[in-house]
Amino acid sequence: MRTNLLLAASLLFASSAGAAEHEGKAYIAEHGYDGPRTCETCHEGTARKFLDTVHWKHASKVSNVEGVDPRQEWGMKNRIYTFCNGNDLVNNLKEIPANEKGKTKLIGCNSCHPGNHLSDVGSTGPEAEQAIDCLVCHSSKYDYSKRRPYKTANGQVAMGQDRSAEAAMAVGKPAVKNCMTCHEGAGGGPLVKRGFAFDAEHDAHAAKGMVCVDCHKAKDHRVPTGFDPNTWANDGVRLSCADCHPGKPHKDQAYDAHLGRIACQTCHVPGAGGAVAKDFTRWTKLETGFYEPSTIVRAPSEAMPVYAWFNGTVVNQPHFIGPKGSRTDPRSKIFPFKIYEGKAYYDRKSGQLLAMDFAPPTATGNTLAGVASAARTMGLKDVQPVPGWQTIYFANSHLVTRQKALTCDKCHVPSGGRLDFQALGYSKAEIEKRRLMSASLWFDRLLEKELKKDE
Amino acid sequence: MKKLIAALTAVAALALLAAPAAARAGEKFLGKVVKIEMAGPEAKVATATLQDEAGKTVAITVQDKLTLDKFADKRITIGDDIKCKYEVKDGKNVATFFKKPGGC
Repeated sequence: MRTNLLLAASLLFASSAGAAEHEGKAYIAEHGYDGPRTCETCHEGTARKFLDTVHWKHASKVSNVEGVDPRQEWGMKNRIYTFCNGNDLVNNLKEIPANEKGKTKLIGCNSCHPGNHLSDVGSTGPEAEQAIDCLVCHSSKYDYSKRRPYKTANGQVAMGQDRSAEAAMAVGKPAVKNCMTCHEGAGGGPLVKRGFAFDAEHDAHAAKGMVCVDCHKAKDHRVPTGFDPNTWANDGVRLSCADCHPGKPHKDQAYDAHLGRIACQTCHVPGAGGAVAKDFTRWTKLETGFYEPSTIVRAPSEAMPVYAWFNGTVVNQPHFIGPKGSRTDPRSKIFPFKIYEGKAYYDRKSGQLLAMDFAPPTATGNTLAGVASAARTMGLKDVQPVPGWQTIYFANSHLVTRQKALTCDKCHVPSGGRLDFQALGYSKAEIEKRRLMSASLWFDRLLEKELKKDE
Repeated sequence: MKKLIAALTAVAALALLAAPAAARAGEKFLGKVVKIEMAGPEAKVATATLQDEAGKTVAITVQDKLTLDKFADKRITIGDDIKCKYEVKDGKNVATFFKKPGGC
């Protein structure tokens, strides 16, 4: 009762202090911060609901990918593909064996999971609820030096959290850095996996001062996401450019005429970045004595996307993960994708891709030891690892630009254009008839624009 | 003619002597952060001292906003391994790349 009165008084005080300030700030200042227990004083039931989101489970039921059981949950918790070649199960956060210099470290795919690792991916119950690191996403004064893995007194590997009152008093809508702390670091280093920087230099939305959650606006911590051949888990809420830019958003009708079959990203995200290829069968030794997967990385916008029809469903084969769609499918549009190729081990007998536990190769470079360890974790027997390649199409939906968007002359040209019209299903005769690869299609219109620009 | 060749040789030799400054344009360093000097969270520049396995230290001048933000909220802090590339400008080692080597 006393707590509630104090809280009410705090809220009254806070609301008069200013709308931007978190209403519970005074309460936290007086009572300190005790993790989700404190948050739940006002946000009752939120922790329990959060346990049922992709951020906590690293998985969800998936209905748009071929060959996966739609009754099971899939995601970085359990998927095997050649960008990561492991998952939360085989690469659970742990201490790796000592390298030749006698050094060890604590690493694992689930090091970004917003729990404390003692309550881990997909855990449930009161203990899990209290393990949630609300502030890592919601505080603008989070001390990230506290969010490090460490060993507890009984030898368990746990993830530290900043539960200081100072951090708790600075809660609010997640800022870009709250999201990017994890989302830029996936896949082996900063901007390696997705390869986009969300800053004013690289993205039109960021340049306008927008933050990630302005588009990925969550409800009950369910975060809307777009369709992506390589991101399967979702919170059941989808997002598209048209949510904010509906109808005919261009001044030029010719551009609007593209919208039926061309995704916004095709013109407005002309570059890609991040890793374009990795070899998990051959790790590179670092000066620290540790090894890492051999990786070729490109800066944001440095790589060229490829273009393909996509209807939101996904081809999922051992050597190919990519978009389904065609010109004849009315649900399909042409989208840009970042192409990635990964080399890893496949099982000679089954032809299936094998996962790798990174602990052994990180310490010694022995990749087959990593495959053997992962096989043990997954209960696979008698695997016969043979190297093979897999091609993956990543959605290319960030690095949005207005000024550098593709113009007519980037696609509709005799050679070297962005789009391979024949591969996309247009016959030579149609290309000729519609002048799809000729300046005669667009010259007058573009000239008029260029002249206006010069005025 | 001999004088001309001698003069050209001298010029070439001078160019070679001057080369180290240019060659240092793409220096790389892998080491641990042992010190960060930054005048408050809004500072426009910081100096991070890195130390490699052999104990060699190098002071890196950091100017990009993202890395400065990471210093401010301790996403990068003392003890972190860093991969760094830098250019020598006016006697300072100015970072062109300053990131932790691994993500997960």
